[in-house]
Amino acid sequence: MADQATFEADAMQYAPQLYSAALRMTRNPADAEDVVQETFLKAYRAYSTFEAGTNLKAWLYRILTNTYINKYRKQQRRPSEVELGELQDLYLYKRLGEQSGATQSAEQDVLDEFVDSDVKQALESLPEHFRMPVLLADVEGFSYKEIAEILDIPIGTVMSRLHRGRKALQKKLWNVAEERGLTGQAS
Amino acid sequence: MSRGCQHAVEYVYHYLDEEITWSRKVRIRWHLKRCDPCDGAFDFEHRLKTMIRDKGRDEPPPELFDRLRALLQEDDTDPNA
Repeated sequence: MADQATFEADAMQYAPQLYSAALRMTRNPADAEDVVQETFLKAYRAYSTFEAGTNLKAWLYRILTNTYINKYRKQQRRPSEVELGELQDLYLYKRLGEQSGATQSAEQDVLDEFVDSDVKQALESLPEHFRMPVLLADVEGFSYKEIAEILDIPIGTVMSRLHRGRKALQKKLWNVAEERGLTGQAS
Repeated sequence: MSRGCQHAVEYVYHYLDEEITWSRKVRIRWHLKRCDPCDGAFDFEHRLKTMIRDKGRDEPPPELFDRLRALLQEDDTDPNA
């Protein structure tokens, strides 16, 4: 059992990360702050049910995710699986490698050309069932087991969504690279 | 593509996420030392993952902390809470 009196001291350190994750989910600063505020309030009220010594960060993310889903999921359109198609493994690396004259270092150099807004937009463009696992793994650094607990889905589902979500993210980044003329090909 | 390459590509994310069995990890390490294309691909995927972590974040507005503290205090004084 955790003591409500220590909630602020225990949880406040995670506020920046929670806010950043909420912003990737809602794509809007005002909504992101709403979600974080509601998360903190719910967590504060339920803190006595939190088992002290277990994973507080994951517990807060679970509340954050549920808060977001309850508030915003209805508004979201879920693209069909067919729409996304099946993408090859190592999608971005392979596409960059297809460019004539691209050496290994040229592929690496393209990564340095991406700016923060490219990555954020690519993440935010992913359909929700891919965006959440990719966000939790690649940006927030959670393990597969933690993600399974946060999203309340089986670990096998985490792995398959993560695998396909990362390929979808790579396709978005490829599109960005093409639009910005980073691929070594005139567009 | 050799079987070693196929195995490496199949488990590239498990390897980079450090969510892999010891025997698979050893097999992949052994393969990467001998296969430049796979080694290059793994290096790329590793750098991509780091880039997403570093460039996929935002800082909160500085007032967020005060607003959260106020929210919790308010909740303490709310008889309906």
